[in-house]
Amino acid sequence: MSDAIAALARELGAICTPHAPLALEGAQLEATLRPRSEVECAAVLAALSRAKLGALITGGGTKLAAANAPCRARVRLDTTALRDASEIDLDEGVARFGAGETLAEIETQLAGSIWQLPLDAPGASGTLGGVLASAALGPRFGHPRDVVLGLRVALASGELVKTGGRVVKNVTGYDLGKLFVGSNGALGVITAAWLRLRPRAERVETLIAPAPGDAALSLAAVRAPSARVAALVDDALAPELSALARAPRSLAIELAGDDAAVAADRAALLAKLGAAPAPADVVARLREIQGSGEIRLRVAVLPTGLDAACRALAVAGARTLAFPARGIAYAFFAGSANDAAFGAQLSAVTDAARGAGGAWKLEAAPLALRSGREVLGDRGGALPLQCAVKRAYDPGNVLNPGRGFGEP
Amino acid sequence: MTALVAELREILGAEGVLGRPEELFVYEADGLTHHSARPSAVTLPRDAADVQRIVRACREHGVPFVPRGAGTGLSGGAVACHGGVVIECARMNRILRVDPENRIAVVQPGVVNADLSKVVAKHGLFYAPDPSSQQSCTLGGNVAENSGGPHTLKFGTTTNHVLALELVLPDGELVRLGNPAGLASGFDLVGAVVGSEGTLGIVTEITVRLMPLPERVETLLGIFPDVVSACRAVSAIIRSGLVPGALEIVDQRTIRAVEASVYAAGMPTDAGAILIIELDGPSAAVAAQVERARAHCREAGAREALVARDAAERQRFWRARKGAFGAMGRLAPDLYVHDAVVPRAKLPEILERVCAIGDAHRLRLSNVFHAGDGNLHPNISFDRRDADELARVLKAGEEILRVCVEAGGVISGEHGIGLEKREYMPLVFSDADLAAQIALRDAFDPEHVCNPGKIFPTTRFCTESNPKARGYDRVAFE
Repeated sequence: MSDAIAALARELGAICTPHAPLALEGAQLEATLRPRSEVECAAVLAALSRAKLGALITGGGTKLAAANAPCRARVRLDTTALRDASEIDLDEGVARFGAGETLAEIETQLAGSIWQLPLDAPGASGTLGGVLASAALGPRFGHPRDVVLGLRVALASGELVKTGGRVVKNVTGYDLGKLFVGSNGALGVITAAWLRLRPRAERVETLIAPAPGDAALSLAAVRAPSARVAALVDDALAPELSALARAPRSLAIELAGDDAAVAADRAALLAKLGAAPAPADVVARLREIQGSGEIRLRVAVLPTGLDAACRALAVAGARTLAFPARGIAYAFFAGSANDAAFGAQLSAVTDAARGAGGAWKLEAAPLALRSGREVLGDRGGALPLQCAVKRAYDPGNVLNPGRGFGEP
Repeated sequence: MTALVAELREILGAEGVLGRPEELFVYEADGLTHHSARPSAVTLPRDAADVQRIVRACREHGVPFVPRGAGTGLSGGAVACHGGVVIECARMNRILRVDPENRIAVVQPGVVNADLSKVVAKHGLFYAPDPSSQQSCTLGGNVAENSGGPHTLKFGTTTNHVLALELVLPDGELVRLGNPAGLASGFDLVGAVVGSEGTLGIVTEITVRLMPLPERVETLLGIFPDVVSACRAVSAIIRSGLVPGALEIVDQRTIRAVEASVYAAGMPTDAGAILIIELDGPSAAVAAQVERARAHCREAGAREALVARDAAERQRFWRARKGAFGAMGRLAPDLYVHDAVVPRAKLPEILERVCAIGDAHRLRLSNVFHAGDGNLHPNISFDRRDADELARVLKAGEEILRVCVEAGGVISGEHGIGLEKREYMPLVFSDADLAAQIALRDAFDPEHVCNPGKIFPTTRFCTESNPKARGYDRVAFE
């Protein structure tokens, strides 16, 4: 054990567990830090900053491969024990949860109420803190930033701060919550969040149809008022869905809302698309696909550019799962790519995104393929500002060093 | 300053710079009239390049600058409290692009909020944030203040509808933040800039999301014996899972003021409160929602729950709400539109306390508010020339904020902090919380030359936290 880790263990006591070097994300991690409260988390960060030790920050571990590499951390900061008491206000439709709670645990707490948490869980172990920090998207709900009312955050300095509040409308000071959500832990560690809940839908229907050949028709169809999910899926990704759709590419739709609205949209889509009712677990299957693949890229373009982007991705050798209403496609590449082949594929994807005025992000790839590459998207002219923001909140670069935007 | 004005005239032409006292007079205040300060000059840029040149000239002369939209803000955010240069964006008023298929529009900051919705209506679209001043306020101002409006409850505030920004930074650099597709790389700097009250830079282009016009809209009017029962109906509606487009309460004092004015809407002056409910969505769903909402009103004690029969009647219902501020103007020369938020369930208790505060200070206080959001707007009619009355207004304002914060609320729901509430920020935030916000300011504007003196308390921070800051924020505002 190095002197620095030994000193950290002495200072933090039971929070810090030294261990044999553990290889993770290119780092050799010498200890795991597991704070059980936000106060402990702040103390951990203060100690790390003093010791100038970088930390790889993890939640449920579902998004570990969605960052730059190699990580230059010496320790792992495990946030799964940040479980300060939940507070659910059923009258207001707002709730506070600790960052270490999994989305599945939160759903259990909300079961039986009219409210649900409008966040998609990226796998069973996905924690609230991880979903917010990584701005994880799923098939069903929107961007996590729109759900957050307030955050508690431990900063690299060891200060505990709050941003926002528990009320549903708030312009009191800067909206730092937007900054921390999606920052991949590079600016601070989210310890708890106040969230806006959403009423459960009165009725949910799942449909499946052959993917329309006409992209405009596809877009019009998936913009039905009650369409909560609409996804175009390649046969190779989900043959069972293609079998249901009786077509090589399927369009899966989930309608949710008031009974009458869903019924009206259902009737229209059955007629317009030749859709058929589908099992309710189709959306769970989409979520599973969305999180799968050894090499997976996300492309976001304007909706009318999605069809062309998917064609470009297919030419580059990818299978795609696309969400036409949102202009988002997930491209899955075969996992055996060598560095040169991967570089060509990545260029094809980024060119396609850029050409359509959009953005891209490598969501998963083996460490070797990510090393030394920017995987979090185009840097653009705002990079100096992005770096200034990072320096303002983490001057010692102890939070996920090597993994942030603009770092490799 | 003379040298700077001469340089600005070279950049913008004589018509692009205002400097005579009678010209500057109208820029002394925004909609919050009791905070005023005369700027040294007002500039009228036509594009981002003009803004860059203005900012660079100001920097060379060591003069702070203040972005301004239509000046309808209600927290003193557009006041040049240190006598700097106002950058008025009114001439940057072009809608650059409407893309109906992708439901986005690209606009300059001086476009008037309501004008955008008018232009895109032919495509079956609208721009959702609808502040009360939407007939005159600009989208650039809306971005600065993260403006809301009656329909925030369902559609969110400006931050939920801005996809990308072009921004002149306080050092004169031009950057593009965000992406029309909505998922840009790196930190969400668009989210950080929206609502930053013009302190992080000057927005020169905005890409906004448009929404499809609802298939059907129904407007209900609940007439209640008192505010408490109207609030009870609001809680029941929310608790039932209904998500109306708007839930607005108007109290008796306001109803009477409106009915005595040119905005008279035929509301019963003996009602304790009225509740306006707007439901929108697919035709198939709205009819059932209307009946559910009416039932909640009746159960909460409404003596009537009416549904507007046509567009004219809908406008009449809304006139009772939207005419409130104009009607108050009849009562006194000045109107202080206060703004705070509490958890919805606390509304009845807080309103009672707010009215008691007004009475204790012998003020003419009335309430219209976004009940669905818990967003209070106590309105105080007063005469700022009466120093004693002004002092009572300010004292009551502070007491109202304290009551709201004690109830778990915050000190602004949509007007921003500006000059008005900067000294009350410690009611909500600790020193560490504020330092974390100032860290963002430092990343964008280390010398604090862009709209100084706003948001943060003058008594601490600023130059203490950042040795580069020039100290503009510390100068006490008179």
